[in-house]
Amino acid sequence: MHSTTIRKAGLYILIFNFLVATFPQQALAGIIATPAAIAAQENHDSLSNLKELLAREDVRGQLMQLGVDPAVAEQRVNSLTPAEIARLQPQLDSLPAGGDALLAVIGLVFVVLIILELVGVTNIFTKL
Amino acid sequence: MRHGFAFAVFVPALALSGCAGISPVLAPRLDDDARHTPIELDATPCHPQTVHQCGPAALATALQASGADVTPGDLVARVYLPDRQGSLQTELVAATRGYGRLPYLIAPDLSTLLAELQAGHPVLVLQNLGFSFYPLWHYAVVIGYLPDDDAVILRSGVTCRLVMPAGRFLRTWRLAGYWGLVVLRPGELPARPVSASYLRTAADLEAVGQTQAAELAYGAAVTRWPTDATAWLGLGNTQYQSGRLPAAEDSYRQAVRADPGYLAAWNNLAEVLAERGCFNTAITTLDKALARPGSIDALRELLRQTRSEILSRRPSDHSADAPACEQTN
Repeated sequence: MHSTTIRKAGLYILIFNFLVATFPQQALAGIIATPAAIAAQENHDSLSNLKELLAREDVRGQLMQLGVDPAVAEQRVNSLTPAEIARLQPQLDSLPAGGDALLAVIGLVFVVLIILELVGVTNIFTKL
Repeated sequence: MRHGFAFAVFVPALALSGCAGISPVLAPRLDDDARHTPIELDATPCHPQTVHQCGPAALATALQASGADVTPGDLVARVYLPDRQGSLQTELVAATRGYGRLPYLIAPDLSTLLAELQAGHPVLVLQNLGFSFYPLWHYAVVIGYLPDDDAVILRSGVTCRLVMPAGRFLRTWRLAGYWGLVVLRPGELPARPVSASYLRTAADLEAVGQTQAAELAYGAAVTRWPTDATAWLGLGNTQYQSGRLPAAEDSYRQAVRADPGYLAAWNNLAEVLAERGCFNTAITTLDKALARPGSIDALRELLRQTRSEILSRRPSDHSADAPACEQTN
């Protein structure tokens, strides 16, 4: 209940920001921007403004769930193009996140060593 | 004689036991004249990563190599996902744009990567150091290669100069979908530019408001591909956004000259004509464009909207355009 209110408030703030942020675009009425021209040429369906807005809100929420600071999450979402938002939204959780593979490799080797030890193939640890 | 026998027995035995395999990886992907010349971009900065943060470290390395003023610490807040203990490719791309640089994804093959290194561009790569079913994702920056040792040189994790057998590198890179990024100064082209990818990347800069960087990128594109209508349209749009209407008009004219069926360029040309008071010429321009057969419906709709907007802006006492409107048509 409480969190829905917050979500709703967040959405209204976002809509307001969106309207303010897109205001300078009004001056461009009549000009077709290059990304739109390319999308039309390649026959892509770009998201409608409202769908894009909701997708952005969703990606922002997902970033926050993954531990990103709320203020920064907003900024990070704003730096993404509509196409990137559309790509991230459904699969942000499953996309590769390059991190410290080195530690993971050491961890994996350690697990293998323990298994070998338990199974009795090696006895490194008992000798220690 | 005896040595000859030992050689005949041992060398194949060694080759068979080696992990690197018998056939070299780098040599077939290099031109004859480059086949024995090692490349190492040793001016590339080194940022030994702190725990988990190879994304910020690798990106800072690539950004600094392109002259951007940034530290790995600055990038943590922009690209790191604490609960995934890593960084997404898309966010590395977005952060690159944030520093006014062009994040160009290279064609997914090793020979293109080697060509970028020859051109002096370090390549930020995603690697999978695990297996396809148990991936361990890692970012590193390829800064060179040693053809005679069949190895590549990386800035990777805590290691400033990691020499990795090319075969092993290729496996880790293949398991990560051959994802490679070069960070270019605006106006700089990659070693093997593909016009569609380059222009899409420039358009992304335009989309997030990096107008100046986008304009420089489009400028490089029209020099490289003078008959590419999209490049001219992009140049015109960025000129328009910075208020240089005569330059924008020229660029739109170049775009329709390159591709007379390019409705978006006709639309924008009509708009700048209307903005300098040439309402009738603008309407005629749109009517001629709309009369062309076989164009995209979504764009036709936008042209009709522009037409009715221009009509509504035309003062009621406007009977004829000034003579200056005619001169370039």
